[in-house]
Amino acid sequence: MEEIKYIGEHLWAGNVGNLFVIIAFSFALLSTIAFFFGSRENEQATAWKKIGRTAFWVHASAVIFIILTLFYMLLNQMFEYHYVWQHSNAVMPVRYIFSCFWEGQEGSFLLWMFWHMVLGLVLMYTSKNWQAPVMTVLSSVQIFLAMMLLGIFIDDYKIGSSPFNILLREHLDFANIPLFQNPNYLDMLDGRGLNPLLQNYWMTIHPPTLFLGFATTLPPFCFAIAGLWKKRFNEWTKPAIPWAYFGVGILGLGILMGGAWAYEALSFGGFWAWDPVENASLVPWITFVAAAHVMMIHKNKGSSLVMAFFLTIITFIFILYSTFLTRSGILGDTSVHAFTDLGMSGQLLIFLLGYLLLGIVLLITRAREIPKAKEEEALWSREFWMLIGAIVLFCSAIYISALTSYPVINKILGTSLAIKGDVIEEYHKIQIPIAIIVALLMGFTVFLKYKKTDFSTFIKKLNISLIISLIFTASTGYLLSLTNIFYLLLLFTSSFAVFANIDYFFRILKGKIPKAGMSIAHIGFGLMLLGALISMSKQEVISSNTSGIDVTQLGEQYENHKNILMLKDDTLKMGDYSVSYKGKEREGINVYYEVEYMKKDEAGKIKTEFSLFPRLQLNPKMGNVAEPDTRHFLHKDIYTHVTYAEIEERETEKQNEYSEPKTFTLAVGDSMFSSNSIIVLESFNRAVNIEEFGLNDSDIAVGAQLSLIDKTGETYDAQPIFVLKNKAQAYTIIDEVEELGLRFSFEKINPEENTIDISVAEKNSNKREFIVMKAIIFPGINILWCGCILMVLGTVIAVWNRIKR
Amino acid sequence: MKPLSIIGVVAIALSIGVILSTFSDSSTYADFNTAFAHPGNEFHVIGTLNRGKEQVYDPMSNANEFIFFMNDTAGVERKVILSEPKPQDFERSEKIVLIGKAKGESFHASKVLMKCPSKYNDGSQEI
Repeated sequence: MEEIKYIGEHLWAGNVGNLFVIIAFSFALLSTIAFFFGSRENEQATAWKKIGRTAFWVHASAVIFIILTLFYMLLNQMFEYHYVWQHSNAVMPVRYIFSCFWEGQEGSFLLWMFWHMVLGLVLMYTSKNWQAPVMTVLSSVQIFLAMMLLGIFIDDYKIGSSPFNILLREHLDFANIPLFQNPNYLDMLDGRGLNPLLQNYWMTIHPPTLFLGFATTLPPFCFAIAGLWKKRFNEWTKPAIPWAYFGVGILGLGILMGGAWAYEALSFGGFWAWDPVENASLVPWITFVAAAHVMMIHKNKGSSLVMAFFLTIITFIFILYSTFLTRSGILGDTSVHAFTDLGMSGQLLIFLLGYLLLGIVLLITRAREIPKAKEEEALWSREFWMLIGAIVLFCSAIYISALTSYPVINKILGTSLAIKGDVIEEYHKIQIPIAIIVALLMGFTVFLKYKKTDFSTFIKKLNISLIISLIFTASTGYLLSLTNIFYLLLLFTSSFAVFANIDYFFRILKGKIPKAGMSIAHIGFGLMLLGALISMSKQEVISSNTSGIDVTQLGEQYENHKNILMLKDDTLKMGDYSVSYKGKEREGINVYYEVEYMKKDEAGKIKTEFSLFPRLQLNPKMGNVAEPDTRHFLHKDIYTHVTYAEIEERETEKQNEYSEPKTFTLAVGDSMFSSNSIIVLESFNRAVNIEEFGLNDSDIAVGAQLSLIDKTGETYDAQPIFVLKNKAQAYTIIDEVEELGLRFSFEKINPEENTIDISVAEKNSNKREFIVMKAIIFPGINILWCGCILMVLGTVIAVWNRIKR
Repeated sequence: MKPLSIIGVVAIALSIGVILSTFSDSSTYADFNTAFAHPGNEFHVIGTLNRGKEQVYDPMSNANEFIFFMNDTAGVERKVILSEPKPQDFERSEKIVLIGKAKGESFHASKVLMKCPSKYNDGSQEI
């Protein structure tokens, strides 16, 4: 076949990008080797270290140039590249260019590599005599990450996936389409664009924060490995601690941003769904918190080294495991937002197992040499209870990780298991008791000193916070009518954690902010638990049941009824509100549904409180997406989500036809409802003007006199007639009310019951627009967000204070 | 042994116990035949929507019930009653995962996960 000469392609850009990927890869390799020899502390060490630093600088510049090249390609809409085509398009606002950049796997690897590189540069100039061994480990991780971007083939095995060398016309999915027979195909091509679901500011801020959090687990890992490797067991925690706390703050922030995004813009119906992808980043955070605390014990008391090593190493391993879970495609069926498989699971597995093996082997071979504390931890010492906390946190991480690993276990054992019942319940069953213990520990451990504390003075110090939190628990528990014992316990311990740390801040630290990082972070975490508890346990689906009767008594199938049908302009009672659906409006790809919330004021008049605009995004390429809308109050949020709506416009030609009639049995004085009116059977008319209908005296005719009242109060009459012709043949003479689009027929007389059957047909145009929606009240969710801010603020203060010293 | 080590060992043992008990009480991915052989037990069933058969969603009478027919991976067709509104873009789904129980002649699903097409590998995906 003759080769087609394509017009307007920018093949140079891909070549430039590829070149930088290869440079980044090879200089990470060189940097690793050079720092490795530089760590030997012989005559050549200084020279090796210099090579290492230069190599790392070249690596760093190459990473920046890779990123710039990809941005250049995105900005200039080079849709000949699969990555650019897949993630951007011509009409997309420039402000989403960052989101396009890291929407795909390759871009997010780049983002991760970028943060490692930045942290690497900082480490290179701050780690002093740790430089060579620490940078050896860090650069080696960069080799793996750069490898994920190589996109080269060795035999048939593809190593990595590069955004620069996959042209759309060569991509397996598209190679055969006729468009690529045209040398000028680029003129006709637009990108697929960024998924509209991701076109918001969360997608701009959440990934970089989360990946910075992931990246900050690396420096402590490097110090731990370097400490084991160079047998500098007692020195590594000091430089690692600020990194660890910085990481705990940033990773925590990144995870919570994900939660806030899910809560605000996605339709999860909450801020945490225990989705495998969420869990994959929560687990390393939990072990990171444990590791950071054990490092503090070591720094203050010189003990617990093995555990500090173990937790620091396992944290980074969990980051790699989370990368494996989300990017190997293994989560496929179980998660809504895992990446698709790029055929790199083998590489990812080597990456994971390689560092796992390195950590385990180093820890085991050095275990005998690691200095152990001579004396036992005293029962009433800070370190004792901090270690208990670390153990509990580790158990929590293991449990979450195990449940998240169902697909992995299925793959290994060839089974086909899945979590039974309500997934969220399954996690809460274990995590709530763990949270109770952790909060309790956070409360009283701050009042303990390292080494030994006198028990009676310790209890005296706790008195105030114990009493205050008991009162708080009793009153709040009563107000919220909490009866579940675990909820009450968590309410008590989390409020105790908050009050004890507030007390500590004012009484022991005398309110000095620079020293209060720890207290503020602990208050924040306590508030987060409190907010999560209140909003989750007292969340109320107000759209479930508007009858005022407890339907759960009716049986199992009624529990799920969380959605409600709202006809346009109808008003339904939901919780304290009267809610009305006012109509829809289309703006571009968004259809906004106006839902009005009303309340009675003191005078008993119904007043509009606010309107919410949940929307549907219509996207023929990627599927329609519903986004909720939430009204925020200080003490609660009201969440509204359209779960079903008719999207197609109704066919106009059928509007004048009548739909299937409905039959009602009525006695005189009874009434029935149509979609737009109330209809009352007033009386029977036995004196029908028979001539008008061509009947004679032997025929019997009875009219049903109906009176109709529509919504505006306007009245109408109708009279369908029942005819018995020649005492044998029965039929009905229908009557219509044009204005209301109603048609009545008198079906039969039931002489025994003294009733008649009337059937009513309505015109299709009478059918009113409707939505099916869900409304949930989340009380106290702001406590959670406040706690989150305080926690991050606290860690920032703590790290800042430490660096300043 | 130090008290802390004992506590540590006990805690780890306890969590392994809890994890094993969770695993032993798992739900399983199965086909319709297995699910209907054990009515009342929860199963995850993977399959495809039968587009030839009627789908019933009448929000006027019940907004929380959607009825459709699914063929499982073995090709067995069953009526499915989902106790949720009809999901967005249901017709586009290429793969469905149902979570629920067999009851009588139909499968009562409490939850449905859908996979929508993102990839065709015949080299002719539309642009």
